[in-house]
Amino acid sequence: MNAALLRWGLLGQAAGINARLYCAAARLSFRRQFAYPAATFWGLLTNLFFGALRVAVLLALFGLKPQVAGYTPADAVTYTGLTQAFLAAFSLFGWYDLMRTVHRGEIVTELLRPHSFLGFWMAQDAGRAAAQFLLRGVTILTLYALLWGLKLPEGAAGWGLTLLSAGLAWACGFAFRFLVNGAAFWSPDAVGIGRFAWALMGLACGFLMPLAFFPAWFQSLLAWTPFPSMMNSTVELWLGHVSGTQVLRVLGVQAAWTLVLLGLARLVLARGLRRLEVAGG
Amino acid sequence: MIEVEHLHKSFQTRSGGLLRGQRRTVEAVRDVSFRVARGEVVGYLGPNGAGKSTTIKVLTGLLVPTSGRVEVGGLVPWRDRRRYVGRLGAVFGQRTTLWWDLPVRDSLDLLRDVYRVPPDRFRENLKAFTALLDLGPFLGTPARALSLGQRMRADLAAALLHDPDLLFLDEPTVGLDVVARERIRQFVAHVNAEREVTVLLTTHDLTDVERLARRVMIIDHGALLYDGNLPDLQARFGSARELVVDFEAPPADPRVPGLKLVSSEGPRVTYAFTGAAARPIALATAHAPVRDVTVREPDIEATIRRIYEGGLLGTVS
Ligand SMILES: Nc1ncnc2c1ncn2[C@@H]1O[C@H](COP(=O)(O)OP(=O)(O)OP(=O)(O)O)[C@@H](O)[C@H]1O
Ligand SMILES: [Mg+2]
Repeated sequence: MNAALLRWGLLGQAAGINARLYCAAARLSFRRQFAYPAATFWGLLTNLFFGALRVAVLLALFGLKPQVAGYTPADAVTYTGLTQAFLAAFSLFGWYDLMRTVHRGEIVTELLRPHSFLGFWMAQDAGRAAAQFLLRGVTILTLYALLWGLKLPEGAAGWGLTLLSAGLAWACGFAFRFLVNGAAFWSPDAVGIGRFAWALMGLACGFLMPLAFFPAWFQSLLAWTPFPSMMNSTVELWLGHVSGTQVLRVLGVQAAWTLVLLGLARLVLARGLRRLEVAGG
Repeated sequence: MIEVEHLHKSFQTRSGGLLRGQRRTVEAVRDVSFRVARGEVVGYLGPNGAGKSTTIKVLTGLLVPTSGRVEVGGLVPWRDRRRYVGRLGAVFGQRTTLWWDLPVRDSLDLLRDVYRVPPDRFRENLKAFTALLDLGPFLGTPARALSLGQRMRADLAAALLHDPDLLFLDEPTVGLDVVARERIRQFVAHVNAEREVTVLLTTHDLTDVERLARRVMIIDHGALLYDGNLPDLQARFGSARELVVDFEAPPADPRVPGLKLVSSEGPRVTYAFTGAAARPIALATAHAPVRDVTVREPDIEATIRRIYEGGLLGTVS
């Protein structure tokens, strides 16, 4: 872990990026997630309750059919487990942290620092997501494995590529969340925009239902959007529904969307900061 | 160090609904110009809503002004923001820069990486500030559990750990008790003297200014009313000095030729005068037998209050 951090640090230094800082920010953000054990516990319980509910609903939907849209009942169980596990890490129910910082004027603190604003937020969110995935995700998956059985990626390569895809899904989702929160620079009631955006994201990233269950025309429409890259791609890799060179294509699409959205986020941020009217004081 | 010329900043506010609401322009800062030299401490005064915080936000690169020229240490704050903010420290009394739910020590340690402070230098500074501000007892406490005074001390340390040339303080003593205020003043005086930090300070507590700043700027309704030192302000706009005389017995006629009568209550009579006290005292003692005299100095607080209330000053002197 430390050797890896060091290597990244050296790479970053070469690129003029303050990698030490971003690692430190991620680490602090990771740690603060452990400050509220009660919240974690109740969150976990809720996750599990709704997870069980969704398993029951999906299995009822299958009835006696061996397969629906390429999903076996075992796939469906694993799918719900994964979505419940990613729920907190990917903030699929929504994320208003940046918006709040802007509205309350707390953004001042960060603008007084010489680091990249976007980079710092990304590092913090990485720490948060990693902690949430460990605290809630891994626990949920373990419980699912014990209760209903869980399909796992195959072999070291399968695991590696799936985890890479999960990382990209987080990054892509982060860029989208950051963009949506950027509305706060223009509107004092950007929360409404947020609600709409999270509903759209939940539907289009495959959180409500596997995208394979949607009508073909809707699926091909979604294929042109970044949303599947925010979760559905990772689920399909995990389940082994994508194989061979297709895997690389999926990862490539995820990476491309991540870069595009991060670029947009940078642009919006620069614009937003120019018209920022810091409240308070 | 700081150069400000013809700075204007106005805000658009909308009142009422989104569609029928009326747009209104608030001119928070109007044609403000001043310079601050390296190592100076300047007190920035003005009543609520005068435009103090807005000026500070422009100077710290947080707001883009509507017009005007600002250059600090050769940089334009909002244009070179990231490069610029590395060289300054700022405390907004109403906010904290500390991580809410982590120990103070973690927030401070992070600053070493934020500003890439050499580790030795950082350790030295942290040690010095811990001693000066008595941070020791709460370094391990999360920011959310700190008292206001503790939080302000920690924030002050956080603003200075990277050895900035410039320090902006927006109401650093707001809400603190007398002892805590004094401690903060001593600390600011110390870093100004020892480290040659240039300080621009807004406050509603005039003791802050009297203790720290030789120079004051007064702003009201966005316009700079006065820029100069405190004694001059007093001399120009202060009320007169007062001579309180306790006569042996209530005088038949309290009026003394050459002295302006302010009030008379039994044996105690108050006169106003300007300049030295010797002659007024001689005149009063010649008038009738005197038991005691005191000279009352006009206080700065009263002077400033008069300026705010009466608009004593036209525009900039
Ligand atoms: N973001 C904003 N949007 C609209 N108006 C603003 C904004 N910020 C400040 N103002 C207005 O600009 C004026 C100056 O405000 P500012 O905060 O600079 O005052 P101040 O001198 O710091 O006052 P105080 O002593 O109360 O802190 C006020 O009339 C205020 O209402
Ligand atoms: Mg203010």
